[in-house]
Amino acid sequence: MTASPARLTVNAVPVDLTPVPVDERLLDTVRWRLGLKGTKDGCRTGDCGACTVLIDGRSVLSCLTLTHEFAGASVTTVEGLEGDPTAARVRAAFEMEGALQCGYCTPGFVVALTSLLKELGAEASAEELTEDLGGNLCRCTGYTAIVRAVRRVHEEMP
Amino acid sequence: MATFSFVQPSTTDEALAALRLGEPGETMIVAGGTDVLFGLEGRRIPLKRVVSLRHLPWKTLSWAGESLRIGSTLPLRTLERDPDLRRRIPGLWQAVRAVGSVALRHRATLGGNLVRSSPASDLIPILLALDSEVDIIGMEGERSLPVDQFVRASRTTALGSGELIRSVAIPEARASAFLWQRVRPANDISQVGVAVAYSPSRKGWRIAVGGVVPRPVLLPQAERLLSGPFPGAAELRAAAQEASMRVPFATDRRATEEYRRQLVATLLQRAVRAAGSHPSSPGVP
Repeated sequence: MTASPARLTVNAVPVDLTPVPVDERLLDTVRWRLGLKGTKDGCRTGDCGACTVLIDGRSVLSCLTLTHEFAGASVTTVEGLEGDPTAARVRAAFEMEGALQCGYCTPGFVVALTSLLKELGAEASAEELTEDLGGNLCRCTGYTAIVRAVRRVHEEMP
Repeated sequence: MATFSFVQPSTTDEALAALRLGEPGETMIVAGGTDVLFGLEGRRIPLKRVVSLRHLPWKTLSWAGESLRIGSTLPLRTLERDPDLRRRIPGLWQAVRAVGSVALRHRATLGGNLVRSSPASDLIPILLALDSEVDIIGMEGERSLPVDQFVRASRTTALGSGELIRSVAIPEARASAFLWQRVRPANDISQVGVAVAYSPSRKGWRIAVGGVVPRPVLLPQAERLLSGPFPGAAELRAAAQEASMRVPFATDRRATEEYRRQLVATLLQRAVRAAGSHPSSPGVP
């Protein structure tokens, strides 16, 4: 068997998983154990995208993830994207377009869109980016301003 | 608090050995883990161990001429991003894109979808229409089954208790399409899904429908009403009529039986036209 190291890296900081119960979800580990409240607890069923984090650079739903399953992996939450230039462009576009009201879904959108931009690169169209954000729900804005923010990020891609 | 152990085999032998640990019902096998983890609480038989297939070397994808073999634990997002899939098997690409969201597809797998065997699966209809085979491995050796014989009902398949799906084989690239209807287009479950594929070797269409109880089905009677790769309007209408009468739809909270019958007639005609007009279609230069 793989002798998984009982640790995880979250935002470049090593986390010892020894005290983490085997059925704990990554969402609860980052929010309650590590105090990283940017990752939001929305539906806990994988339907809303508010809990999106990156594992080894790929967007995943932390509510559907057992923390121990990814022992040895590298997790990035919205806090860990603070100095990331792509995430900075995404945040700026959301701000310029007023693409949020209550803000609960916003960290999930920022993580998901940042991940998409890195995954798809210059080949992505604004339509594809918008369609690929279909897993992130917003109950306030009606999405109009969010779609504008996606277009803005796309137009300003370096 | 649950106290199961986490087993993460990294070889096929280790995985098959892990399946034999303990008593029946004590072990949960997890591929992508996007569905089964809901079942952690309130189990009838207490969970003793979770066997994760994530470290197995089965995240493979290989084209050999016209055929494609997909490893059972390959994330669907990786399959979707294969540079040849959209052009060579457009219906499979469309069906993969229909599953969940990008973040879900970074985890979800073809093997997991087949074992879940949901009547509303977006992948099973196109796998049926492509005459796909499930490659199974167990302690006694390997065997292959057509998807049509593998899938039986929701959470019920031909997979034995000591067996795992290793890969799925698609025998040939086909002009194909998968169309669905939902209450919400994004991140929802389909009311009806229609998969069609034209086989150049059999010189005939395959038509399969999801959103059907107890499982997605092939529709050979409707297939036979389409005479060639570019059926005319009358043939299409006849096939659509046949399909809408034939499929054992049910009424549930997502749609009524009557609505599903109307949907399948409309989607079938659109899907055959879409597959026939695709650049990879037979006869298109």
